[in-house]
Amino acid sequence: MQNFEFYSAVTVEDGLAFLSERTEGCRIIAGGTDLIPLLRTQEVRPSHVLNILNVADLKGVRETADGIRIGPATTFSEIVVSEPLQKEALLLVQAAASVGGPQIRNRGTVGGNIATASPAADVLPALMALDAALEIRSLSAGVRVVPLTQAIEGPYNPGLRPGELITGIILPKPVPGTRGGFEKVGRRHALARARMNMSVVLRMDSNNALAEIRIVPGAVMPVARRMGEAESVLLGQRPEPDVVDAAADALAEGILSTTGRRWSSEYKIPVVKNVFKRVLQGLI
Amino acid sequence: MSKPDEKKQLHMTVNGRSVDLSVKPSWTLLYVLREELGLTGTKKGCEQGDCGACTVLLDGLPVNACLVLALQAEGCAVETIEGLGTAENLHPLQESFLENGAVQCGYCTPGTLMSASALLRDNPSPSLDEIRRGISGNLCRCTGYTKIVKAIQHAASRKS
Repeated sequence: MQNFEFYSAVTVEDGLAFLSERTEGCRIIAGGTDLIPLLRTQEVRPSHVLNILNVADLKGVRETADGIRIGPATTFSEIVVSEPLQKEALLLVQAAASVGGPQIRNRGTVGGNIATASPAADVLPALMALDAALEIRSLSAGVRVVPLTQAIEGPYNPGLRPGELITGIILPKPVPGTRGGFEKVGRRHALARARMNMSVVLRMDSNNALAEIRIVPGAVMPVARRMGEAESVLLGQRPEPDVVDAAADALAEGILSTTGRRWSSEYKIPVVKNVFKRVLQGLI
Repeated sequence: MSKPDEKKQLHMTVNGRSVDLSVKPSWTLLYVLREELGLTGTKKGCEQGDCGACTVLLDGLPVNACLVLALQAEGCAVETIEGLGTAENLHPLQESFLENGAVQCGYCTPGTLMSASALLRDNPSPSLDEIRRGISGNLCRCTGYTKIVKAIQHAASRKS
């Protein structure tokens, strides 16, 4: 691969300083599981690479007054064993556990999954379903916090401006009774890119109707999003079979309206409906 | 800051021994292990993290050496297959692999052994599912995995 200048940031500040001085041709590396293959094939040819894996402030899962804060350099393995996340965001734990295999999970990071913004990402849609927000910093513009559902601008385009670094992923404290579920469809049980994944978060009220419902399918559109068209069918309703079916149909319609009919639709559309129903059933 | 072609100093331990060398920033840990240190037990497979043939332990955790820039291993402890056991002194896992017919072409074997050794370190009595999950990052084209799983199970039960 082409050579580059390599610098390991010690603190967030010196990482930001490095980025601000090199607006062209700088790539950030954390776990490297997405970046290094691109470097090897020369699909990307940066002149500088900033390593953020050693910055203590970018790692770890912390409970705060309003929820949970996850450092972007937290690996998938660390997410899987995090007790606060197992308790409050099991969906995220399930999504992280589905990525790659043990070796990938020991290096790949949640910030990397967001910053790569692959249409087939596993953790990114799960975070959207959990109403995650991104804290993004740069020397020139300071801090901005943006809901993840609004951050991703396109496939492989996380909407980061030159000089910017994701410094935190913020999960709001869920209302008691909120539950989430995840399923991934792949060609293998491990080391498989998602052909499709499904994240659902819901909360039932005292009448067994849905007080809250969030649906984010992944690997079916260029950019994952909340499927409001399916959520609105279910919100306030009891999840009876005909309502669930109608929501599944709306889900499929919503996907098709975004992507148009593709070569994979014949497979993905019936499967996404079934996977959605299965994940939903597992939560109610 | 250095020029792109310039080599930088790397210090790490490999199989318990201190190692200091000059590396190019673009070199991966896999390249350094095989080409600079002559430790060719770690195999080059897909070079993109899809096969696990290059699995080594980095600070005790199984990783794909092809997905670690050498400079990211600064200050880390690397364990390779050469450190697991020798021909004269096989690790119990290596003995078990041989006894149970878990080695055919042998190409996936070093990586699988490293994953298995980390698994047994963390979990000395793994269930069959835990074993399968523990080696799920190592692809084998020859054995169909059954004997590999059995070999790991035997090694675990022998130790305990």
